[in-house]
Amino acid sequence: MIELNVNGRQVAVDVDPDTPLIYVLRNDLALNGPKLGCARGQCGACTVHLDGAAVRACQTPVKAAAGQAIVTLEGLGSPAKPHPLQAAFIAEQALQCGYCTNGMIMQAAALLKAKPQPTEADVRAGLNANLCRCGCQPRVVRAVLKAAGKGA
Amino acid sequence: MRHLTEHNALSRRGFGLGLLGMGGGLVIGFRMGADAQQPAAAGPQLPAMIRANPALNSWVRITPDGAVTVFTGRVEIGQGTLTAMRQIAAEELDVAPERITVVSGDTARTPDEGVTSGSFAIKLGGSALAHACADARATLVKAVAEAWKVAPATLKVEDGFIIGTGQRVNYGEAAGLVSLVRPVDANAKRKPASEQRIVGTSYPRTDIPAKVFGDRVFIHDMRPQGMLFGAIARPPAYAARVLSVDLAPIKAMPGVVEVVRDGSFLGVIAKREEQARAAAERLATSAKWDNGPALFAGKNVFEHLLEAPHEVKTIHELKAAATQPPALTHKRTYRRAFQAHASIGASCALAQWQGDTVTVWSHTQGPFPLRVHLAKALRTPEANVRVIHEQGSGCYGHNGADDVALDAALLARAVPGRPVRVHWAHEEEMAWEPWGSAMIVELEGSMDADGRLTDWNHDVWSFPHSSRPGPSGGMDGCNLRSAWYLADPLPPSKATDGGLPNGASARNAVPIYTAANQRVTTHYHQVMPIRTSALRTLGGFFNAVSAEMFLDELATMAGRDPVSVRLANIKDDRLAAVLNRAVAMSGWMPAPVTAGKVLAPEMRGFGVGLSRYKNQDCYVAVVAEVAVDTRSGAVKVRRLWSATDTGRAVSPDGVINQIEGGMVQATSWTLIEAGRFDAGIMRAVDYVDYPIIDFLDTPVIESVLIDRLDQPSVGAGEGSQAPAGAAIANAIFAATGRRVTELPFTRERVRAALQA
Repeated sequence: MIELNVNGRQVAVDVDPDTPLIYVLRNDLALNGPKLGCARGQCGACTVHLDGAAVRACQTPVKAAAGQAIVTLEGLGSPAKPHPLQAAFIAEQALQCGYCTNGMIMQAAALLKAKPQPTEADVRAGLNANLCRCGCQPRVVRAVLKAAGKGA
Repeated sequence: MRHLTEHNALSRRGFGLGLLGMGGGLVIGFRMGADAQQPAAAGPQLPAMIRANPALNSWVRITPDGAVTVFTGRVEIGQGTLTAMRQIAAEELDVAPERITVVSGDTARTPDEGVTSGSFAIKLGGSALAHACADARATLVKAVAEAWKVAPATLKVEDGFIIGTGQRVNYGEAAGLVSLVRPVDANAKRKPASEQRIVGTSYPRTDIPAKVFGDRVFIHDMRPQGMLFGAIARPPAYAARVLSVDLAPIKAMPGVVEVVRDGSFLGVIAKREEQARAAAERLATSAKWDNGPALFAGKNVFEHLLEAPHEVKTIHELKAAATQPPALTHKRTYRRAFQAHASIGASCALAQWQGDTVTVWSHTQGPFPLRVHLAKALRTPEANVRVIHEQGSGCYGHNGADDVALDAALLARAVPGRPVRVHWAHEEEMAWEPWGSAMIVELEGSMDADGRLTDWNHDVWSFPHSSRPGPSGGMDGCNLRSAWYLADPLPPSKATDGGLPNGASARNAVPIYTAANQRVTTHYHQVMPIRTSALRTLGGFFNAVSAEMFLDELATMAGRDPVSVRLANIKDDRLAAVLNRAVAMSGWMPAPVTAGKVLAPEMRGFGVGLSRYKNQDCYVAVVAEVAVDTRSGAVKVRRLWSATDTGRAVSPDGVINQIEGGMVQATSWTLIEAGRFDAGIMRAVDYVDYPIIDFLDTPVIESVLIDRLDQPSVGAGEGSQAPAGAAIANAIFAATGRRVTELPFTRERVRAALQA
């Protein structure tokens, strides 16, 4: 059994310790936020926070996440108490299909923690390893700047 | 923020087949082309989708408690269409949008509207739903007016309450006075645009909150009780067949529940997703395969397009009685690589058998055609198959969505009663999805001394742009890929090229310009060694990009600038309006392009692209500003400006989201995307080998919408790709004075053109 702290809750999962964290979060813990994308660390759809740092859950063995605070999109905010990024993504309608949205928000949340007042260039650089196929990058940038209290 | 549910949750649907058979009264199997092109008869015409699904209660139902449910065969693919449908229904019914339940894409419950594609959802599906809702409202108001003995015009409707003469009654009670179980009335009148209060506003998309809070939205998130995971062991080449395979070692792997073999179709069912994937991979590598013949007989795909047997057809021709001898003539050939949908989330489906019947949850664009082809492949009557649409990652056309549905159904049959979810790997999607066709376009044209086009000949060589499943009885064979690999295989359906006005290979090959003599000829390859199908815009993107490049070359030869030459050769004021608007926004002062200019280390330029999608949908003009590093060949698209006229915009923000998203996607297609394959299969299967645009390369975009309240809403989802690609191509041409003729414009290709 591996003990995990997910969104403030202690859970135990009975899996091979080398199982990528994404499968455990999605299939064992029934979390929908982190998405299985390329499974190669190239798209960012699976991004979660480990002790506040944005990591690729598809590239993280579950054993490496034990002992750290794991936060997923569900743990970031809720309809009653949205994270500023979640509110800004709704306000800017900053997605089309929404499959990459988890990664955009989780990566941006880590970015804003490290740099609360980013420039547009900071946002673009900070999100550059997160891919969006619908072409919503301009809206995502606007939403992140809005969440930071800047821009639109 | 209020959460609205577009689709009923799994539990509310009852995870069984209790609803099968509810669609018995629906008309199925309509043929889109025939319907849409039916000539207008005398008297009011019903929208095409209503002619295919005439029952009023197949579009709208009102229960005694006043609850309103509308049904659409259209599906949400990330384009916001279900929010637009909600707006349209709310507008015509005068019911608050959030009180309406929208049911979409379910073969047991909704109208059969074929495939949600081709930018038809609002134009055809929206107009049908609006007409049905207008009929329902008028019918209920009339029934109440008769009961109250007043004229219908004296009554008004507020949020589902009919009000007048000091009385009010809700729709539920009114529905008790009159039957809505009858054909839709052709005489029903939609509201004029001047009275619209919800259509025309940027009503927030109802699916977005769930997507930002991590609620269950996608098939990928469905986890019914007892679900198992499936994965397919893919052949090493498209033409490969199994010679021998030992299933026993795979069955012994951790978590494996079943190993399925049917001919060369090999798959695994396991308790855990990663176990299924690992077992399928080992199954694929341990099997002995015959790889079959080499793709394109080892030739270059463009040689194959020109030389392999194909059908040649002139599909459009205009001939002037007499013309002046042209002042100049020009001819050029352009080429485009295979390009992929490259969805961020690979295709996924969930299937469950109960007895002889199967329910399949799919993000297909066409639940009804998918049902037809599933029934063929599973060799079961269509009535035994129910397809329910659930959202997937954006598809941008025909990706693996339909094929994975058959994979899930084939695997689930081995574990009766157990739901099986199959979620392809990204590299599996990239290798096995249908690709957008490689294409060649050759243009030959002439211009007179006044800068007017006199001759315009457009030849296009292409593989098919649709290998989708089709309507019942509509085609032989089966267009679900795994059916081709079964022990008793079903061959693929014979692909046919879509005719004008929509076109497929020749989409947007008919010029938007007023050349006196015009000819469009298709060189169509029905046989596709690499399977191709609909990638957003079909042939429209490359045909229009080629035409726009060619026009700029002619303009340069004539010493004219790209904007005035366009204005001199169009008659449609709406085309001129978007062109002028985009140019004005950009601040660009158009001037004739100087060919072969001296190159500084960095060259900048502006270019324009103009298109009317399918020659009948939205008008879009895009201006691009690029910077070209003339030593490396790297192109930076600095800014894009667009102006769009899509008639009455149901949701202006929804239109802009589609237009700008299309501009970003087209920037990626134009600059970096090309499929690379070996003798047997696509090899560009991850984001390193098949990169898509990132944040740093995304241009700054500014867009305006010219809303035309008096004009019907037409398709907008595919309108911006071609003008964006063309604007970039023409900006590179203007910056450097040199033309790069093969897409994508990689730095190697640009550098080679600059050094030539």
